[in-house]
Amino acid sequence: MANDTQILEPVKEKEPLFGKAEKKLLTDPLNDNNPITVQVLGVCSALAVTTLVYPSVVMAIAVTFVTAFSNLFTSLLRNTIPKSVRMIVQLVIIATLVTIVEQILKAYNFPIYKQLSVFIGLIITNCIVMGRLEAFAMANKPWRSFLDGIGNGLGYGAILIIIAFIRELLGKGSLFAGSPIELKIIGAADTYLINTKANPWFGWYMNNNLMVLSVAAMFILGIIIWIQRARNPKLVDIS
Amino acid sequence: MHSTSYIIRFVLIMTTLAALILASMNTFLAEKHTQNEKIYNKRAILAAVGQHLDGGKSPEDLTDQEVETIFSSNIKSYVLDMKGNIVEGRDAESVDMAKERKKPEPERLLPLYVFTNGQGASYYILSIRGNGLWDEIWGAVSLEEDLRTVAGASFDHKGETPGLGAEIKDNPGFPSQFIGKTIYNEAGEYTSVVVRKGGAVDKTHEVDGISGATVTSDGVTEMLQRGLRYYEPYLNTLKTKS
Amino acid sequence: MEFVNIFIKSAFVENMILAYFLGMCSFLAVSKSLKTAFGLGLAVIFVLGITMPINWVINTYILSEEGMFGMDLTFLRFILFIAVIAAMVQLVEMVVEKLSPALYNSLGIFLPLITVNCAILGGSLFMVSREYTFSNSVAFGLGGGFGWFLAIVALAAIREKMAYSNVPAPLRGLGMAFILTGLMGIAFMSLMGIDPATMGGK
Repeated sequence: MANDTQILEPVKEKEPLFGKAEKKLLTDPLNDNNPITVQVLGVCSALAVTTLVYPSVVMAIAVTFVTAFSNLFTSLLRNTIPKSVRMIVQLVIIATLVTIVEQILKAYNFPIYKQLSVFIGLIITNCIVMGRLEAFAMANKPWRSFLDGIGNGLGYGAILIIIAFIRELLGKGSLFAGSPIELKIIGAADTYLINTKANPWFGWYMNNNLMVLSVAAMFILGIIIWIQRARNPKLVDIS
Repeated sequence: MHSTSYIIRFVLIMTTLAALILASMNTFLAEKHTQNEKIYNKRAILAAVGQHLDGGKSPEDLTDQEVETIFSSNIKSYVLDMKGNIVEGRDAESVDMAKERKKPEPERLLPLYVFTNGQGASYYILSIRGNGLWDEIWGAVSLEEDLRTVAGASFDHKGETPGLGAEIKDNPGFPSQFIGKTIYNEAGEYTSVVVRKGGAVDKTHEVDGISGATVTSDGVTEMLQRGLRYYEPYLNTLKTKS
Repeated sequence: MEFVNIFIKSAFVENMILAYFLGMCSFLAVSKSLKTAFGLGLAVIFVLGITMPINWVINTYILSEEGMFGMDLTFLRFILFIAVIAAMVQLVEMVVEKLSPALYNSLGIFLPLITVNCAILGGSLFMVSREYTFSNSVAFGLGGGFGWFLAIVALAAIREKMAYSNVPAPLRGLGMAFILTGLMGIAFMSLMGIDPATMGGK
C-alpha cells in the first residue's frame, strides 16, 4: 500500500482532483473508520446474504454504486433541498437508485436477482447510505462526496466479503459458488480440490453447518471487531 | 428558510423526475425481465431431466439460446385437468402453479412437459407444489417411459433456511437421490417417494432426509405424495393406450 | 385463528432481528440502556403496525396489475413504501414530542432513524413476497414489531448486566453485542419448525 502514493499523478487543476485528502476519503473507511465495525452503520440486512461469496460481491458492488451516486446527487442538490423535507428527498434519491440497481440485476443477472430477493430493496434502509448523506454529502462538494461514497461502499463490501469468505469456505467447502469461477475446495467428492474421502489426512473434516446459519455472521463479525480493536487500541469502546 | 410553495414544487419536481426515470427504464427492460423469468422457469423444468440432456450438459451450463432451442424442438407441452383430459387452447407455461394451488382441487390445471432426447427416449416432466417450513416449495419430477421410474427431480423454495431446508435446492445431492426410485410398487400400488428422516430404509421408494430440516423434508414428501397423484388419471390413459 | 398464528410466528419463530438481521443499526445503538430500548421498541411496534396495512393497500390497489391504473407499477414500490414509512415516522415523532417530552429527548436521533430501520421496510417487502392478505399483514406487522421489541429489550437487559463483567477490552461494547446477538439467535432457533397452525394435532 505504501508505494501507491507515488503512482498517483496529480491532475493540474485549481483543486487537485485526486490529492492526499481525496485518497484518505477512499482508504479511511477500509480500516480506521470502517462503516460496519467502527461507525456501526449498515450492519442490517445485508449480512443475511453472506452465506456465499458471489452474492456478497454483487451486494458490495450494488451498495457502493448506491452510496456513491446518492452522495453525488445529494451533494449537487445540497443548497436547494428545503430543510423540512430533507429526509424524504434523500430517500427518494436512494430509492430511485436502488430500483435502478434492481431493474438492472433483474435484466442482466437473473439468478442473482432471485437469490438476493428482498435484500436488494433493503439497501434503501441500509443506514450507511443515509448516514453518509447526512454526515458528509450535505456539507461537502460533489466530487469529494462521490469519493466518500465509494470509500464507504468499499469498506462495507470488504467486511461482507470477508465474512462470506469464511462462511462459504467452512460451511460449504467451496468459494464463489454460482459464479463462472466456482472453486470447490474441500468436500467428499472427486470434484473437490481436497477430496476428504480419498485423502487420509483430511478424513476427519466435515463442513460446519453452523457457518451456514445466520448467527454465524454475528460471531464472525464480533471476532473481526475484536481483532481490529486489539490491533488498533484507539478504537476501543470505553463505555 | 424556504417558502411552502417552493417546498411543494421541489418535492413534486423531484418525485416526477424519479418516477419518469424509473418508468422509462422499466419500459426499456420489461421485455428482458419477462424473458429472464421464462428462461429461469424453463431451466428449472429442464433440471428435472438434467441427466438425460444431449451432449451430457447440465441445465446450468446451457446458454439461454440453447434452453429455448431445446424447448422448441425437444419438448412438447400439454395442459391437463384433474380428470386426465388434455385442455386445448392453453399454453403450459401460462399455468401458474401458485395460483392453481389456491383453486379447489377438482378445478386445478396441471402442466405436463414431454422431453424427447436425441436417442428417442421420452421423459414425462410433472410439476408439483407444496409447503416447506417458512413458505412454499415446488419442484419438477420426470418419469421414464414406463411411467413409474423417476428419471430426475429438481426443487426450489421461496424462503427455507439456508444450510437446512434450502439444501433441497442448494445441495445437488438431494434431488439426485430421486433418480431410479419408483412411484409404484411391484403390485402396481401408488407409493410416491418418501423423504425419510435418518436415512432411507426402503431403497426403492425412499430417499434420505436432510438432517435438521425435518419440516422441509416432510413438506417434500407431502408435496410428492399429493402432487404426483394428480397426474395419475392421465398416466393411466397413457398406460392403457400402450 | 390465522391472525393469532401469524402473530406468534412472526414474533417468536421468525424474529426479524434474530432470523433476518432486520433493523440491526438501531438495535445495536439503542440497546445500551433498558429504558430507551423499551421506548424505541414500542415505537417500532406502532410504526410497523400502521405501515404494513397501508403498504398492503398501496400494493394491492395501486401498484398491482389488477389495481386502479390497470398496469404493472411495481417499479415504484420502493419509492412509495419508503414515502409512507417516512410520513408515518414523522407522525409518531410529533405525537411522542407532544405526549412525552422525556421519552422524546432520550430517543433523540433514533426516532427519525426508524425510517431507515430495515425492519419496517423489510416487513413490507416480506409481506409482498409472501402474498399476505389484509388481516395477515396486520398480524404480521404487529407480531413482527413485538418480536423486535422483545429482542431489543432482552439485549439491553443483558448489556446492562454485562457492564459488571470483565470482558476483554477490545471486545467491549460492539464486539460483545454482536456475539450476544448471535447467542440469542441460537436460542431462538430452538423455536424453529414450530408451526402454530398444526399444534394440538391436525
